[in-house]
Amino acid sequence: MRFPQALLRAATAAVVVTTAIPPTSGQTIDSSLIEAAKKEGEVVWYTTLVVTQIVRPLVQAFEKKYPGIKVSYTAAPFQEVATRIVNEGRAANVKGDLFDGGATFYPINAAGFAAPYKPAAAAAYPAEFKDPNGFWTANIVQVVSPAINTDLVPANDAPRALNDLLDPKWRGRMAWTDAPSAGGPPGFIGAILLTLGKEKGMEFLTKLAEQRIANIPSNQRVVLDQNIGGQYPLVLCIYNYHAAISASQGAPVQWLKVLPILTFGTVGMVKNGPHPNATKLFIEFMLSEEGQKIHAEAGYIPAHPNVPAKSPELKPEIGKYEYKLVSPEMYNANSAEWTSIYKKLFQ
Amino acid sequence: MTGNSEITLSKVASGRVNGPARLSGPVLRYFRLVDYPLIALSTAIIVVIGLLVLPPIWTLIRTSFANTMPNLSTAGFTLDHYINLVTGRNLAVSAVNSIGFATCATALSLIIGGILAWLIERTDAPLKGLAYVTTIVSLGTPYILYVTAWLYLLGRAGPFNDLYRTWIDPTSTPFNVNSLTGMILIEGFLWSPLVFLLLSSTFRAANADMEEAARMSGASILDTIRLISIKLARPALLALALFVFIRNIEAFEVPALVGMPGRVDVLTTELYKSIKEVPPRIGYASAFSVVMLIIVGALLLLYGRISKQAERYASITGKGFRPRPFALGRGRWIAGFVILVNFAIVLALPISAILWTSLMPFVRPMRWVALGTTTIKHYEAVVSSPYYLGLALNTLVVSAATATVVMLLALVAGWLAARRKPGAAMIDQLITMPLVFPGLVLGIALLEIGLRLPIPIYGTLWLIGLAFVIRYMPYGMRYAYSGVMQIHSELEQAASVSGANIRESLRLIVGPLLIPALTSGWLFIFLIAAKEMSLPLLLAGPSSQTISVAMFDLWANGQGGEVAALGLMWVTFMTIVATIFYRVARRLSLTSFGH
Repeated sequence: MRFPQALLRAATAAVVVTTAIPPTSGQTIDSSLIEAAKKEGEVVWYTTLVVTQIVRPLVQAFEKKYPGIKVSYTAAPFQEVATRIVNEGRAANVKGDLFDGGATFYPINAAGFAAPYKPAAAAAYPAEFKDPNGFWTANIVQVVSPAINTDLVPANDAPRALNDLLDPKWRGRMAWTDAPSAGGPPGFIGAILLTLGKEKGMEFLTKLAEQRIANIPSNQRVVLDQNIGGQYPLVLCIYNYHAAISASQGAPVQWLKVLPILTFGTVGMVKNGPHPNATKLFIEFMLSEEGQKIHAEAGYIPAHPNVPAKSPELKPEIGKYEYKLVSPEMYNANSAEWTSIYKKLFQ
Repeated sequence: MTGNSEITLSKVASGRVNGPARLSGPVLRYFRLVDYPLIALSTAIIVVIGLLVLPPIWTLIRTSFANTMPNLSTAGFTLDHYINLVTGRNLAVSAVNSIGFATCATALSLIIGGILAWLIERTDAPLKGLAYVTTIVSLGTPYILYVTAWLYLLGRAGPFNDLYRTWIDPTSTPFNVNSLTGMILIEGFLWSPLVFLLLSSTFRAANADMEEAARMSGASILDTIRLISIKLARPALLALALFVFIRNIEAFEVPALVGMPGRVDVLTTELYKSIKEVPPRIGYASAFSVVMLIIVGALLLLYGRISKQAERYASITGKGFRPRPFALGRGRWIAGFVILVNFAIVLALPISAILWTSLMPFVRPMRWVALGTTTIKHYEAVVSSPYYLGLALNTLVVSAATATVVMLLALVAGWLAARRKPGAAMIDQLITMPLVFPGLVLGIALLEIGLRLPIPIYGTLWLIGLAFVIRYMPYGMRYAYSGVMQIHSELEQAASVSGANIRESLRLIVGPLLIPALTSGWLFIFLIAAKEMSLPLLLAGPSSQTISVAMFDLWANGQGGEVAALGLMWVTFMTIVATIFYRVARRLSLTSFGH
């Protein structure tokens, strides 16, 4: 699939929008929101992001910009974040205001504890990056791809197309995460089925299963580290920006443009959270160009169309590569089918 | 014969225990069938432990029989979770794997920990300090670092396989860590410090008279160990083996991290998968735990029968005693070598792997060429984040408080249970139950309890402390229980005859004689609580974050070098704290045992 028309249109629209209004998105914020936020004085953020890398820089910048509003945060994997918010909601004793993560929203929403908010800062974002009802907005883009250890795999041996993954030389030498998400094996299976169609897709997956890919019970980053450490020369389903960060530090790793999957993380509000206005203000800040630049600086791929990644070629429009979109929403709608294929063939 | 238990006895005799030695009353009271203060104490302990254990147990049972709704509430009645347990794939294979894994890993821990404890406490072996350092440092090392280090060392690109390829056969990978053997080795290493600490307190408090008598009658060292030392420690050994076995059967961290990539399925593999799904299949996890609860209950009943005769093994009697170290003679250097090997395997190897990771800009194989890229940037990142200090303080406070509360509870509960006082069986069963809780199931139960309690402990250190106390009670109990087993009840009978009430005999007789066991237990719980991850990840609020949450956050996001640096600095700090504590406790112990 080529770069989708909708995204292109949105990107051009964004250029128009940003030239039409002053580029500092802070000025578009309603002063009554700031006043109300200051009265609340606090936001409680349940995050899945890395504290030292991105959470603290964001919090510090926000607290500096809006003195008197404190951002308290708790970091945990997305399963724990969702469990916590759902339990608070059920006990009618809500403490958290805000959450993030790719799949965090769905269990929270299924339990009825998500609240809608359409951030003004995301006006320029492509339609795919926003829930039409405002329940979530993308904060970071994640491109899921294979990677090789360049010390172990000469450049001309690297897979170039999907079928190269079926080469017997990779048998028992590949690994991927067991993460139940769009960025894990179920998302990869979905992308295959969407790309090759049901029948050919299943044929491919059955052959791929014979390669005996190791399921690493951890996340994409840990799998990539095992690739860099030399345990597995070829790994699937890692985030391309992780590979880029490590490669820039000298690690022998290269991400491959073999069926790159585009997905994203989102932010959302908790229903009946104790500090709704401060939460909205914080979301506005995170998604503004200013906030998105902090994400880029930390090595993430910003969702904002006008903010480039630290290595700009990571974004498909600049790196000029085709990708398959598997949004968290698509994943949520199909996860039962994709997960059962994963379990049946690969576990 | 100037042992201090004699002094303890003489304290009793000379009336330093409250009240003059009125003969008629106390003697009568001792033989009276119904002992009201004792029953009151048993009841109080049962109520306290019951309040801690039963609410989560109730949640567990309810969840195992109900459908889990999207909002994680339970509704209706279903047997599906139990049916899924039985119809899960390869039940026979995973059951055989589980039993093999648990048995071998238990044996490995017992052999490593047992030999070490005996050498340290009963002989004149050299390098004793090293054995303690090994134990404390390896207990203080967070699991993810320890397991990751072993995965790295034994992995395909690790130094062992690397050396083999360099020198012998460049195309082969002789050792596959993602196998049952790999799992057994890593799990066995992980729990050998528990065995060492528990047995060292048992051996320290054992009377050497019989060993000496055996030696004087011409028995060889090996015969003495076989016929006397091991036999005397048998109830403690048996209880310990059972405990470690249960712990291994329900362990899912090592089976998942080590076994899953190699597709070695054990009973808990499916459990691990079930709690990682979204939403977590807590019904399945609960059903598994309920079955484990029943098995553990049955094993404990069995154990209770075996240990009824345990009085025969108690060697701290009213007679003064002072365990003397066993002279190994020429065997000393072998003993030193054993301690050194243990140090190398259990500590030096994994720590060197962690150190390597902390000094490399990214994860890479151990090679000379890599030395050129050595960096201290990970250490700089840790030192320049003052926020770790607050987390360290939180962790210290909650771990020390947990260890103290658990050991106080365990002192009373262990004494009541080991002495077969009223309610003994119930106390032992109740306090051991939390052993089978998967962290997530206990965590969810406590989330709910914390949110519904009228006192605002949700999101505070109190809730984490409460969860820790419940989780670690079983461990504290094992330390106290085996400690009490060592002490012959004639000491307490003498105290009672001399007019001491229960409180006095616990405070003046049992307590001091139990100091080695209580110290070991405290140290164990303090160190293990400080590195616990699953509960704080679910329960810590913004102001009650612990160091392990920070480590998990870094690790899960690929900051492997920074985790290693933070982990090593943390382990160093914990070792200093533990050593200070240990020195103080040792001094206290000195006043009770004179050695």
